[in-house]
Amino acid sequence: MLFSWDYLLQGFVTALTLQNLFWAFVGCMIGTLIGVLPGIGPSSGIAILLPLTTVLPPTSAIIMMAAIYYGAMYGGSTTAIVVNIPGEASSVPTALDGYEMAKQGRAGPALGISAISSFVAGTLGLVGLTFFAPFLANFALAFGPPEYFALMFMGLSLVISLSGRALLKGVISMALGLLAALIGQNPLTGAARLTFGSIDLMAGVNFISVIVGLFAVSEVMFNVERAVTAINMTEIRDWMPTWADIKQSTGAMLRSSGVGFFLGLLPGCAPSVTTFVAYDLEKRLSKHPERFGHGAIEGVAAPEGANNATSSAGFVPLFSFGLPTAPSMAVLLGGLMMYGLQPGPMLFKQNPQFVWAVIASMYIGNIMLLVLNLPLVGMWARIATVPFPILGPLILFCSVVGTYSIRFLIFDVWVMFVFGIVGYFMRKFGYPVAPMVLASVLAQMLETSLQQSLLISQGSAMIFVTRPISAVFMGLAVLSIVRGIWVQFKTHAPEVALAEDEG
Amino acid sequence: MKKQTSADIVGGCFLAFLGLVTLFAASMIKGGMEERLPPRTLPYVVGSIILISGIILAIKSFRFKGENPTIQWPDRQGTVRIFVTLISLIVYIALMTPLGLPLSTFLYVTFSVWYLGRYRILYAFLIGFVSGAVSWLLFIYLLELSFPMGPFQS
Repeated sequence: MLFSWDYLLQGFVTALTLQNLFWAFVGCMIGTLIGVLPGIGPSSGIAILLPLTTVLPPTSAIIMMAAIYYGAMYGGSTTAIVVNIPGEASSVPTALDGYEMAKQGRAGPALGISAISSFVAGTLGLVGLTFFAPFLANFALAFGPPEYFALMFMGLSLVISLSGRALLKGVISMALGLLAALIGQNPLTGAARLTFGSIDLMAGVNFISVIVGLFAVSEVMFNVERAVTAINMTEIRDWMPTWADIKQSTGAMLRSSGVGFFLGLLPGCAPSVTTFVAYDLEKRLSKHPERFGHGAIEGVAAPEGANNATSSAGFVPLFSFGLPTAPSMAVLLGGLMMYGLQPGPMLFKQNPQFVWAVIASMYIGNIMLLVLNLPLVGMWARIATVPFPILGPLILFCSVVGTYSIRFLIFDVWVMFVFGIVGYFMRKFGYPVAPMVLASVLAQMLETSLQQSLLISQGSAMIFVTRPISAVFMGLAVLSIVRGIWVQFKTHAPEVALAEDEG
Repeated sequence: MKKQTSADIVGGCFLAFLGLVTLFAASMIKGGMEERLPPRTLPYVVGSIILISGIILAIKSFRFKGENPTIQWPDRQGTVRIFVTLISLIVYIALMTPLGLPLSTFLYVTFSVWYLGRYRILYAFLIGFVSGAVSWLLFIYLLELSFPMGPFQS
């Protein structure tokens, strides 16, 4: 069995060392900052920092990266409530009721409840992660290359079919991601492919450049064209929610934890999806649905809870299968691979200290965020009002530094630039970006597992349907595609992807 | 390209072209068929997906009748701002090797902050200077990363 209380305890011992506590703290601060600031989100934030953290030991680095991720989930709500600008798309439903509360002079309680709900749901999600991930990893020990290929295939098709009403554009986005990853050298033979004889292209397109371009650079372009400048802040008076507020939102916190966690296990169900589902559920269950949108405190608790439960849930498929479910998870996967750690069942088996230290650090990080966020909310809200003309150039400066330090090649910076423009047009034209990111990170594993599978089967593709587990994954993949086509057939409209975030 | 469908027709045609280029590039890949997964197979598959989806997208949008969403393009000023931002980013990246990270960062941040925010030049200068100094202190001095230093190369 891959779970034992001993492992968890040892994880806490490692996570509680001064060094790891420090990096978890740094991660929480950077994460909240990224969540608060418009124009930069967890995926691009982690991607920019990833190459710079190679000076750290792997455990500390990944602890920090994970903290950035869930810290950003906390931070996104602050600006949604105080200035009606959701830092991330997943905070959009929070702004609906949160900003209304702020206008009524109850910004403090709204911020307090969102921090508490984030903490409760985040921690419940972690309990789920603690017991679910080793269980699934145990199951995944039986996987061979065909199962992995089928799993990744299923993951990609789910991401495409869940990305709103844009199935064809999702497929195109995935294919473009694969294409970018194919450029360079064949991982097995080292022979050049799709390089048109260019020496620069031989180095290949690094996924970090792709992600920073798609998210950070294109987001800056969006803000520049809208001329976002100064932001007005509502006044914050009383800080703490009352007991009545907490009692009123307890149900919403618990339900949204469940919704956020279980939906969050699915690839493609990013926080931007689950927060809307949780908000909608609370509205349906409420005795006074008319209060929603006019400052209902449950309307703040539900999306914030779902947000954090989903972010904990995302680590389950990442750790146990090595399958990222959202762009930011894909970046973390890339980070693990940079350190030579292959997520999946073998990680639990061969590096239990590492996995459990990271999981334990998340419990600690959640407490840190709760303690930090309640008193520091005023500071974060003030930071969020830094004018974009200052923020934008600084984001691009960080993007350039981050992508250059991947391999110290100026080529990687140009790739980032190109993907910034690609990302801008993709979002203007309604193409989902997530499939592209996931495909560009997964491409190499997809190729290797396909190659190994075909070696086992001596070239027959039937291996993917004759082995039971991989047949189930392939079946689910086909089902999700059929469902996507059906949904599209029913809605007679041009394909436009839903607003997505970097979740 | 004001309407979603016309954007999709253009996008579809471009993708079909990209698919063809990929297929052509894939046909140039050297390597035999003796391997289980021949080196040309995946590029061929990806190229074909892009080509076919591009064609379907263009045709579907061409034949589409119904409510057609409008794409929100920036106004004239917004377009100019985007172009200037992109060009200054190009100049920044191009100058990084000859001028070094701190100096090019200083120039880029100063210009962009001044241009986008219409602040007083001294204020922009200050932010640019701090950015350049931080880039040197943090990345070159403390983390000892091998960024280009330009004229400050010791």
